[in-house]
Amino acid sequence: MDGVVVGALDGSLLGWVTLLPLATALLLGATGRRLPEAVWKVGALAGSTATFGLALLLWSGFDATRTGYQFVERTAWLPQYGIHWFVGIDGISLLLVLLTTFLLPLTLLGAWNEVRRSVRSFVFHMLALETGMIGAFVSLNLFQFYLFWEVMLVPMYFIIGVWGGPGRVQAALKFFLYTVLGSLFMLIAMLVVYDLHLQQFAVPNLDLVQVAGGAPGLLDTMVPRSGEAPWWRTQTWLFAAFALAFAIKVPMVPLHTWLPDAHVEAPTAGSVVLAGVLLKMGTYGFVRFALPLFPDAAVAFAPWILGLALVGILYGSLVAMVQSDVKKLIAYSSVAHLGFVMLGMFAFNVEGLEGSVLQMVNHGLSTGALFLLVGMLYERRHTREIAEFGGIAKPMPVYATLFGIALFASIGLPALNGFVGELLILVGAFAADARFAVPAVFGVVLAAAYMLWMYRRVFFGPVENPENRGLIDLDVRERFVLVALVVPMFWIGLHPRPFLSLLHAPVAELVQAVERGSAASTVAAERPDGAAAVRDGAAGSAR
Amino acid sequence: MSPASPAMNLDFSAIAPVAIVAMGAMAVLVLEVFLARMRSLSEFHVSVALALVATLALVLALGTAGQAFLQGTSSVFNADNPMLRLDRFSAFATVVVGIGALLSVWMSMQYLIELRINHGEHYALLLISTAGMMVLVAAVDILTVFLGLEILSLPIYVLAGFDRRKTTSNEAAMKYFLVGTFATALLLYGTALLYGTTGETGLDGIRAAFPSDNPLALAGLGLVVVGLAFKVSAAPFHQWTPDVYEGAPTSVTGFMSVTVKAAAFAALLRFAGGDVEPAAENLGRILWGIALLSMVLGNITAVVQDNVKRMLAWSAVAHAGYVLVGFTAGAPGHGAVLFYLAAYLFANLGAFAVIVALADRGRDQDRIESFAGLARRRPGMAALMTLFLLSLAGLPGTVGFIAKFQIFSVAVRAEELSLAIVAVLTTVVSFYYYLRVPVWMYMRDPGETPPRAGLDTPEAAVLSACAIAVLLLGFFPNGGFPVPVLQDATVLAWAHEAAAALR
Repeated sequence: MDGVVVGALDGSLLGWVTLLPLATALLLGATGRRLPEAVWKVGALAGSTATFGLALLLWSGFDATRTGYQFVERTAWLPQYGIHWFVGIDGISLLLVLLTTFLLPLTLLGAWNEVRRSVRSFVFHMLALETGMIGAFVSLNLFQFYLFWEVMLVPMYFIIGVWGGPGRVQAALKFFLYTVLGSLFMLIAMLVVYDLHLQQFAVPNLDLVQVAGGAPGLLDTMVPRSGEAPWWRTQTWLFAAFALAFAIKVPMVPLHTWLPDAHVEAPTAGSVVLAGVLLKMGTYGFVRFALPLFPDAAVAFAPWILGLALVGILYGSLVAMVQSDVKKLIAYSSVAHLGFVMLGMFAFNVEGLEGSVLQMVNHGLSTGALFLLVGMLYERRHTREIAEFGGIAKPMPVYATLFGIALFASIGLPALNGFVGELLILVGAFAADARFAVPAVFGVVLAAAYMLWMYRRVFFGPVENPENRGLIDLDVRERFVLVALVVPMFWIGLHPRPFLSLLHAPVAELVQAVERGSAASTVAAERPDGAAAVRDGAAGSAR
Repeated sequence: MSPASPAMNLDFSAIAPVAIVAMGAMAVLVLEVFLARMRSLSEFHVSVALALVATLALVLALGTAGQAFLQGTSSVFNADNPMLRLDRFSAFATVVVGIGALLSVWMSMQYLIELRINHGEHYALLLISTAGMMVLVAAVDILTVFLGLEILSLPIYVLAGFDRRKTTSNEAAMKYFLVGTFATALLLYGTALLYGTTGETGLDGIRAAFPSDNPLALAGLGLVVVGLAFKVSAAPFHQWTPDVYEGAPTSVTGFMSVTVKAAAFAALLRFAGGDVEPAAENLGRILWGIALLSMVLGNITAVVQDNVKRMLAWSAVAHAGYVLVGFTAGAPGHGAVLFYLAAYLFANLGAFAVIVALADRGRDQDRIESFAGLARRRPGMAALMTLFLLSLAGLPGTVGFIAKFQIFSVAVRAEELSLAIVAVLTTVVSFYYYLRVPVWMYMRDPGETPPRAGLDTPEAAVLSACAIAVLLLGFFPNGGFPVPVLQDATVLAWAHEAAAALR
């Protein structure tokens, strides 16, 4: 994507969207313990709802026909190291910002009564987490991205560790350490790219793209493919370092082992945010940074990543099938769903990539809703064992209906959002490599199997457990939250155009960049002398 | 030096910070004698008076050094025979050491009373040691290096054993003294070898005349490095660290952990400083191994510690390793080293200040179990401790990250990838043990320990100063924070400018 130059800087709306949750948290925090807990909850809800309102303003002001980034803001921060406060969004980040800001108030509302101790600090962590997530989605400076990416861990660590289940401490530590391990390697790789850039342009810069009149962005850096440079300055290893950080977050098999623990132990609100948004950090990282920065290596690694994605789909589905705990089942289904996202992404064509990004949003909506639903049931029965239930559709018809919709969305039933995403992904994957696409179809079948089997065991049949007879159906607050989540599921399922149209421009650009990368490596294979000349050019300016 | 006009070439501005702090120490000693006789004064008031004198001396010294730094002048005490030089480098290091001493004075006031060891000599010893550090960081002659090292060490041996009723404190003093003198002896022997092989005592002269093919010269260099490595507790010369850190009164531990390290590293920088020379090249090879070993050993051993002071001691070994990574990168790394020392100052002193503030019923509550449920009992303290520990681990948004970012960055630029990768892996390990404390504070229920009543003003001042510095330098390491003075506090640039004075 060289030659991407951001035009005029426009306004500070995006900065407000990013920082409003944190500002709310700090404002509440400044009052100390004077305000009652209820005021904190309402304040947080108001703050995050206002953030969603601002995000809607972003959407309405967004011009989907334009390429490049919009709502760009750039201010010097540590200019002598090329570090700027640099935010901007394209269609991909816009969708994810919308998802984040939409989920957060609903999560707060959905878990309204779940958290009973240290409510103030819980609310504080949720809001800080929101700023962290939005910040990572809108950052166009690698340093700034890394800052948000890491800082986000702290509130999540506390949310799991303080308000979680019995194994929360281990789960929280595991979550933190896994992520830090990956991201520190990414940091080193970032520094290598920064150094290459500095050698080639003699201007320190950690901005991803160039701003009109400014220094060239990191995307303009010529990263050696192999050969001349030391091995660790080549695309292969730099991509590997970035991919490790992102693959842990996605999570891709075999780096997924933190996920079931974290999801099961986290409180409902934590699980919703973790599944709904945090996992997308990994997939987003691939799309925004790893692919455009190292297109050649991405193409070279594609078979491996597609293979792992496929393993994730099948393995996640099979493991989900044997779970006795509903929450754990949904956690493993996430592994499978994120496998689809990766499959579509590394198909490197328009259908696959658009489906992949759309599926990130879909997964956030449907899995978020499912975790909320499980949490609501847990509040009533204090268990999540499938065997404890049976026939609860009778006492809780509304609950059963909404659960059903979210579940079908997750499976990918036509007319619901999951269908559009998975269809696009499979079309893209078939076009790219049928060897990976055909087995992936079985993943869809398996998803239907484990989800429907679980649904049948929980909701249908006679009510055998006497404790389930007195179950109370959803109240107004719970209905509101879930209906709010179901509406976009139908919207995307029936009329995906407004969402997909946001993706056309950035995805087309990404596909071009990767094609250039693969074309270059084909040339390199056919005409070693020509490629060597290119590499010499890079290495020459690198010296 | 011509004996006819001895006063002609003396420039007292070069030793002003040292002299002021030393005079402050004398004033504290004298004042203590008089104040102790005044029955009408409470113990606390005596402490306040002595601390104020110490503060005055340190603030004056900081002011002089700061002015020298901002003016960018370089003054030598005796131009004919340069022993001490106050240039931008030593001014920067003097300020770091001075701030460490100042914070330590304020953090120890209530603590000494709590431990019933409130003797005025404490402040005098602290100031003498600080004066020694200021000599060390300004030393440009190997004899003044030795002199500074001794002046800084002797008071600390006493301070480590200041809690004389406590066995561990006595043990700490004894151990530190024995190992410390041994280290000094090695350094002195190295000095002799260097002088013997080069015929010079000035550092510049030694560097210029260093015969790198002479095994005796190499041995001399190695011995000097070993002597200083003892002081910065770099592996494998770290064995005294855990016991001394744990046994010494916590305020003393906090003081020595940051200031001694800063001063000794500054001396090492002077040694290594300058461009690639035979001495610097050989030095780099030695330091490479020490860095690697310190990071690995320090971080891994810290994992199994159940005493927070001891854990911080092992983490000090680890941080010595990270600082040394900056050395192996040569000249560009020296600014990173100086900034790292400043960053470590605030984070580490802050962590020790929390332990100081938690001391209860005459002793430290430094077992990790005593942190259980602290978030419920004293949420502010728990939050501050978490902040300082995360800064030590290097989480973005704290000064610790900027410091590590710089170190990693210069390591990558110098093609020291293996060190960078070890640094990354050990940092992950460090997250584990630093996060163990928040686990106890936030995720476990409090034991039976009733809380000590509120926080004292001096402690609160130290804690907030450290916390503000950690966050402010984490987000605005190079100034730009929209408040008049802080706007221009370009600490990161200052560190690099100070390092440039080495060349």
